[in-house]
Amino acid sequence: MSTTIEISLNGTPERIVVDDGELLLDTLRRRLGCTSVREGCGVGMCGACTVLVNGASTSSCLTLAVRADRAEITTAEGLPPDHPVVAAFVAAGALQCGYCIPGFVMMATELLASDPSPDREAITRHIAGNICRCGTYPEILNAIAAAASATSSG
Amino acid sequence: MTRNDLDGATEGGGATEGGGGAVGQRWPRVAAEAKVRGTFRYTADEPAGRCCFVGVHRSDRPHARIRAVRTEPASQVQGVAAVVTGADLYAAFGDRLLSGPAFADQPALAVDRVRYVGEPVAAVLAWDLATARDAAAGIEVSYEDLPAVHDVDAAVAGPPYVHETLRPSAVFRDLAHLSGRSGTNVNYEYSLCCGDVTAAAAAAATTVSGEFWSPPTHHVPIELPCATAWPQDGRLELLSTTQTPSYVRQAIAQLLGLGLNQVQVRTRPLGGSFGSKMYDRLEPLVAALAWLLQRPVRMEATREEAFYLTTRHGVAVTGHMSADADGRICAAAADVRYDTGAYADIGPRIAAKSGMVACGPYRMDNAWVRSRCVYTNKPSAGPYRGFGVPQLTWAHESLIDELALARGEDPVAFRRRNLLREGDLSAMGTRMHSADFVGCLDAVAAAVGWGRPLPRTEAPWRCGRGVAVGVKAVLTPTIANAVLQLNQDATGTLLISTVEMGQGSDTIMAQIAAEVLCMQAGQVRVVAADTDVTPYDTITAASRSTYHTGNAVRLAAQRMRDRLVGLASARLGVPAVDCKLTSDGVLSGSTQRSVSLPDLIHDHFGALGTTLTTEANFTTDWVPYDAATGRSPQITEFWFAGAVAAELAVHTRTGRVRISHLAVAADVGRAINPALVEQQLVGAAIMGVGQSVFDQLVFGEGRLLNGTMLDYQLPSVRDVPQRITPIIIENPHRSGPFGAKGVGETAIIPAAAAIGNAVRDAVGVRCPTLPLTPERLLAAMKEDGP
Repeated sequence: MSTTIEISLNGTPERIVVDDGELLLDTLRRRLGCTSVREGCGVGMCGACTVLVNGASTSSCLTLAVRADRAEITTAEGLPPDHPVVAAFVAAGALQCGYCIPGFVMMATELLASDPSPDREAITRHIAGNICRCGTYPEILNAIAAAASATSSG
Repeated sequence: MTRNDLDGATEGGGATEGGGGAVGQRWPRVAAEAKVRGTFRYTADEPAGRCCFVGVHRSDRPHARIRAVRTEPASQVQGVAAVVTGADLYAAFGDRLLSGPAFADQPALAVDRVRYVGEPVAAVLAWDLATARDAAAGIEVSYEDLPAVHDVDAAVAGPPYVHETLRPSAVFRDLAHLSGRSGTNVNYEYSLCCGDVTAAAAAAATTVSGEFWSPPTHHVPIELPCATAWPQDGRLELLSTTQTPSYVRQAIAQLLGLGLNQVQVRTRPLGGSFGSKMYDRLEPLVAALAWLLQRPVRMEATREEAFYLTTRHGVAVTGHMSADADGRICAAAADVRYDTGAYADIGPRIAAKSGMVACGPYRMDNAWVRSRCVYTNKPSAGPYRGFGVPQLTWAHESLIDELALARGEDPVAFRRRNLLREGDLSAMGTRMHSADFVGCLDAVAAAVGWGRPLPRTEAPWRCGRGVAVGVKAVLTPTIANAVLQLNQDATGTLLISTVEMGQGSDTIMAQIAAEVLCMQAGQVRVVAADTDVTPYDTITAASRSTYHTGNAVRLAAQRMRDRLVGLASARLGVPAVDCKLTSDGVLSGSTQRSVSLPDLIHDHFGALGTTLTTEANFTTDWVPYDAATGRSPQITEFWFAGAVAAELAVHTRTGRVRISHLAVAADVGRAINPALVEQQLVGAAIMGVGQSVFDQLVFGEGRLLNGTMLDYQLPSVRDVPQRITPIIIENPHRSGPFGAKGVGETAIIPAAAAIGNAVRDAVGVRCPTLPLTPERLLAAMKEDGP
């Protein structure tokens, strides 16, 4: 069985026929070309496939594409280069191999939308489900804190 | 000792010479913004065209003879293009199907026999991935079970034997004598014998001993392995997640019987690796299938499959260490058993090149090591950040702590007295240089407030501090090459086969070239390794790239500078010695006239867009270890030296460990980019925290029980110590590029031992088995308690 879904992907309307068993990860990555959405574990444990669905962080490796019908989806490549979170990650050097970083960027974007001035513990709690195997956590924490102060002071 | 192109370049030897203002700077990482936004293309993101996807049917037996493989259920599935068994591949390729970096023992698909649960038995090719994977599950294999061996010491005793005969690869001449040996699971044994350990230990004032175990673990880079092969016009093009493109080209050319220029291995920067994506992984299978069927073939490993592709060695060490009445170490011994699983991979090299440092970085006249690499019926173990040394450091740094305590002495003071200094002759027979163990130890001890009162903690938490020191020899001998193109617009294009994988090599190599050529950040671009384009390089591993490939880059850049000076001298009509390369071009000192690089190159060729090219080789030499003693005056090109200090608290009712401060120091020779060095130190230390307290692969009768990320725990932000202090120690290496050495592994080597020693300090128990799980610590505290 297949279904036609309509989504807004990074502000662009998309109409696409998806298999009822198709994962949102595969729709975004293999069919719509969003390379920032990555399978790291396939079981919702690493956060590399995180996207925002109507503003809420979602593991696209556990989500059926049909469930995203009529949703607004944001992926990391949908953020402009001067987005405060992107700029803060770059300025803080918050990456090594870089593979997991878009997932952290999505989590940070979600957090700052609901809490513009999170403390260290709130940031830590919010990204605790994402894995950076290179161990870039200190820089990631600093980047999110810097993005918060840039957002709240700007 | 090095063999390189130094002789041809002027002013070549100056390790610290440069002056361009690039080295020592915190340049931002190349491609940072694209990686943060996810627009950067990794291997799996490259366009591949229409391919057959591979689904693999894997063994569910640890050791069995294959009676029959029933492929019909898979081949009849709609969308399946072909089903291939090990017998099919063997019929096509014969013994060439057996590959490996040290032993030619591993088939791309099992032939006749399976040796671990998870071994590939048959491959299904289909036009979409889901069909390939589903159909592979439908293949039926009938097995005749054979006795299996899971424990490393049971395997040393043998039988059963995992392989009927040993098959060392032709690459290493020192393995030749093992060819055809049967009736053993020990595929390599290295021995170090210095002085008389037995007599010295008998005469010693204090001796401690112990049995230590570090479990097998997994690298788990977040990017999954992926390889695509395209056969065309009698050639094979391969795009793969590999950190060893030059090795893979050689291996695939040999497998297919092709010339080296008929195999092209392309790479993209990796999404992490830590040793997991090197030597023979997906490539032999994908290449063999593509060649046999003459179709494009792509394999994407699932996370569950990636756990089977390679692991870190579980290591058992039985050791003792002795001190004389003056508190000087007089003897140390280590009997080391590396569990290499069903296929040797690089295990035999690890057993020798890492086994030799099993007694630690200490002055001693009497040392003995026996280091054996042992087959068992488990997934193959290979290289992993630290190359087998962290497991040995766990043993010698636990022993030396106990030795200090047995003498009633402070563990830092005791180590300090005994550590090797510049110019000292090590037990391995090679002198120390650019390896400031004392400086590293002092720095980390000071950082955590060693000797000052412990922070106040409330019961049931108990606080403690510990230190550990680590030593490793860089892989020697190895080969590096660099080709540098200076474009007419004064930008540089650097062709090397080093693979960027998060260690920052694309940034570091650009800084080295820019230092010589007085260039700015962004002016030199490093090309992703591609064997049709970039020259041979042994491996991107062993923390060797900054030193080896960095030296080749430095030499190529110096030759470029000399060429530019030569061209400018002719154009300005002044002698070459009067000309100096600056950031504005080449300047004549006497006339103060200068010429810009774009003008100089444009005039030389008479055209826009032209390129000047230089190249260089950098190759290291060694003296093979003496067959009787295992010693050598030149065992390695340089030493890694590092220390870690931990301050932590143990919850005495739950066994939980909370690390309040981890200080990490490494002598890096010279930091080309201090920001990237600090990231390597901190990142490796966090990986080391995982290895200390929870990281392990759990097997039951040869079956992997936690091979998913639901079950395999990795450090999250919650596991990061409250404070981490990276400390860079710089004692320039006499022949490093601007004095630099590597740093990728240094911090992980002593990390677990420092944490174990701090736990010992906190609660008074010595737990010789890693990881220090709450259950294990509780049991140890109970045993030790009143």
